[in-house]
Amino acid sequence: MKFVAIIRQVPDGEAKLREEGGRIDLSGATMILDQMDEYAVEEIIQLKEKHGGEAVIVAFGPERTKEAIRTALAMGADRAVFVKYEGDVDPITEAKALAKVLEEEAPTVVFTGGQQADWDSYALGPAVAEALGWPSVAWTTQFELLDEGKAKAKHDMDEGAQVVEVALPAVLTTQQGLNEPRYPTLPGIMKAKKKEIKEIPAEELGVSGTKVEILSQEIVQIERKQKILDGTKEPEKAAEELVKLLHEEAKVI
Amino acid sequence: MVLVFIDHDGKKPKKGGLEAITRAREVAGALGVSVAGLVVGSGIGEVAEEAKKYVDTLYVVDAPEFADYTAEKWTAAAHAAAQKAGAKAVVAPASRTGRTWTARLAARLDAGLLEDVLELEPSADAVVAKRYTFLNRVLEKQKAAYPVVISVKPNTAPLAEPKGEGQVEALEVALGELEQKVKVLEKIQEEKKRVSLTEAPVVVTGGRGMGSAEAFKLVEELADLLGGAVGATRAVVDAGWRPYAEQVGQTGKTVQPNLYIALGVSGAVQHQAGMNKSKVVVAVNKDPDAPIFKETDYGIVGDVRQVLPAMIEAVKKLKD
Ligand SMILES: Cc1cc2nc3c(=O)[nH]c(=O)nc-3n(C[C@H](O)[C@H](O)[C@H](O)COP(=O)(O)OP(=O)(O)OC[C@H]3O[C@@H](n4cnc5c(N)ncnc54)[C@H](O)[C@@H]3O)c2cc1C
Ligand SMILES: Nc1ncnc2c1ncn2[C@@H]1O[C@H](COP(=O)(O)O)[C@@H](O)[C@H]1O
Repeated sequence: MKFVAIIRQVPDGEAKLREEGGRIDLSGATMILDQMDEYAVEEIIQLKEKHGGEAVIVAFGPERTKEAIRTALAMGADRAVFVKYEGDVDPITEAKALAKVLEEEAPTVVFTGGQQADWDSYALGPAVAEALGWPSVAWTTQFELLDEGKAKAKHDMDEGAQVVEVALPAVLTTQQGLNEPRYPTLPGIMKAKKKEIKEIPAEELGVSGTKVEILSQEIVQIERKQKILDGTKEPEKAAEELVKLLHEEAKVI
Repeated sequence: MVLVFIDHDGKKPKKGGLEAITRAREVAGALGVSVAGLVVGSGIGEVAEEAKKYVDTLYVVDAPEFADYTAEKWTAAAHAAAQKAGAKAVVAPASRTGRTWTARLAARLDAGLLEDVLELEPSADAVVAKRYTFLNRVLEKQKAAYPVVISVKPNTAPLAEPKGEGQVEALEVALGELEQKVKVLEKIQEEKKRVSLTEAPVVVTGGRGMGSAEAFKLVEELADLLGGAVGATRAVVDAGWRPYAEQVGQTGKTVQPNLYIALGVSGAVQHQAGMNKSKVVVAVNKDPDAPIFKETDYGIVGDVRQVLPAMIEAVKKLKD
């Protein structure tokens, strides 16, 4: 069996963002393996541990993405295929390129993050599935392989959840609760350095631009009043003052 | 035409559907074309009667196979309707399900996808959209040429008003091999809240600093007094103190109330992603350096076990 996780590298949410000429400049930001993709990596490693076979990372992005790939390999994945692209791209175009890689790899099942921490996009997983003519399950919180090329999955809906049986191969996107991602160990990090990363230029997979052009990006920080009261000594007084401010100044209660 | 997917509760269009209609009308206006609607479900005659008032043509996919949502079936229905309408744009609410099947549809139509849009500036040859990126921290302007698929962020567009009697057309959607690949075994409903978290004008959220599940009685009391909903952080949900349905943040719900009160919440970026566009933010935390205070209008540094009961008393006094 072969289990694939599609990953991307994104800025650490805690990192301060910088804006330069109407574009976000990531050159100084701490970059990490997208935490929603971390669940995907953990899931395929667990599947491999349980059922045997191979855990393969498929990644898309600029050169720096290799750092995130190494993290995933250090967690325990076996090897990686890296589709390299330096320009702006949209999730649909990216999905179509990745579908070509997956067609070749012919995995049992594919996992990827339910939301991307840079594009705030939910599209990659379902779009990859569509490009392959495979089914998809979004926001998966439980997953179990069944016999006869099927799996059972629980996933979040708008209100509540669904339990579904899905014919494989399929693409599933992650949601918190699916698992607890492990941290790479030191031996894991050492081993990862020797694992194979096969590089494919995205252009070879037909990527030549983006369907969605970014016109501008602007950091939005709502100005907060930051009137912070001391409630350590006289909590009642502080509470009363706060309620008064909310009533008279902010007029929200 | 422009096609709009109108989601519903089995009886009438939902708020998200009416917001999507508003945006669909804007795009249709720029293109000088009419608006077609789509409703999908099983036994939805009543919905169709209501939904037809908002559009020029209403496609109705009403069949037992469409009783339960799957992304593949919804994509098939939307694709059939888009073909029939010759749609240059498809607009849908950015609900969790909407975000998924619109991605499949965009891939099938080889269209640009504008997700979770706040505002649109459509013209005759492209659509410019404003949307948040980078965990809700960046406002981005994106542009996509037609054909385009657009999902509309909840609570961001005015609700459409009815404007006549559209023509109703039943649409048969043949289900192929792909659409049979996902079988729904079980549906789990969320318990119904007093006020829906995403629509509540006030949200009172408790974090790990509340200390216990029992302590949330006070969070509920304050929420009730203010006519609001209760929210929770992931730490609280992980601890089993509150249901996941109440989680605010990246992997929970996005809220934008007039008043957001965070009690014993540290303010991790994943939490902020779900609340940082609230109008007024209040925080109570014993740690003056807690990151939430950077995102706060009015706050108290103190022990929530002392401050919260006092806040409840003060609000009660105010109401008398
Ligand atoms: C991929 C991913 C997605 C995530 N999605 C979400 C999400 O959707 N929503 C979410 O909330 N989190 C999410 N998280 C988790 C998030 O990073 C934080 O771990 C979480 O928000 C912390 O919850 P908390 O503030 O309740 O707890 P803590 O961080 O433990 O903070 C508790 C706070 O309470 C204060 N406190 C303690 N005792 C008292 C007292 N007696 N009086 C007053 N204050 C007190 C402390 O000073 C502290 O600031 C996500 C994480 C990841 C990796
Ligand atoms: N960067 C992060 N910020 C906040 N929470 C995280 C982060 N990474 C993991 N978590 C989750 O937060 C919880 C506490 O994690 P830890 O700090 O490792 O004890 C766990 O459920 C983790 O999965």
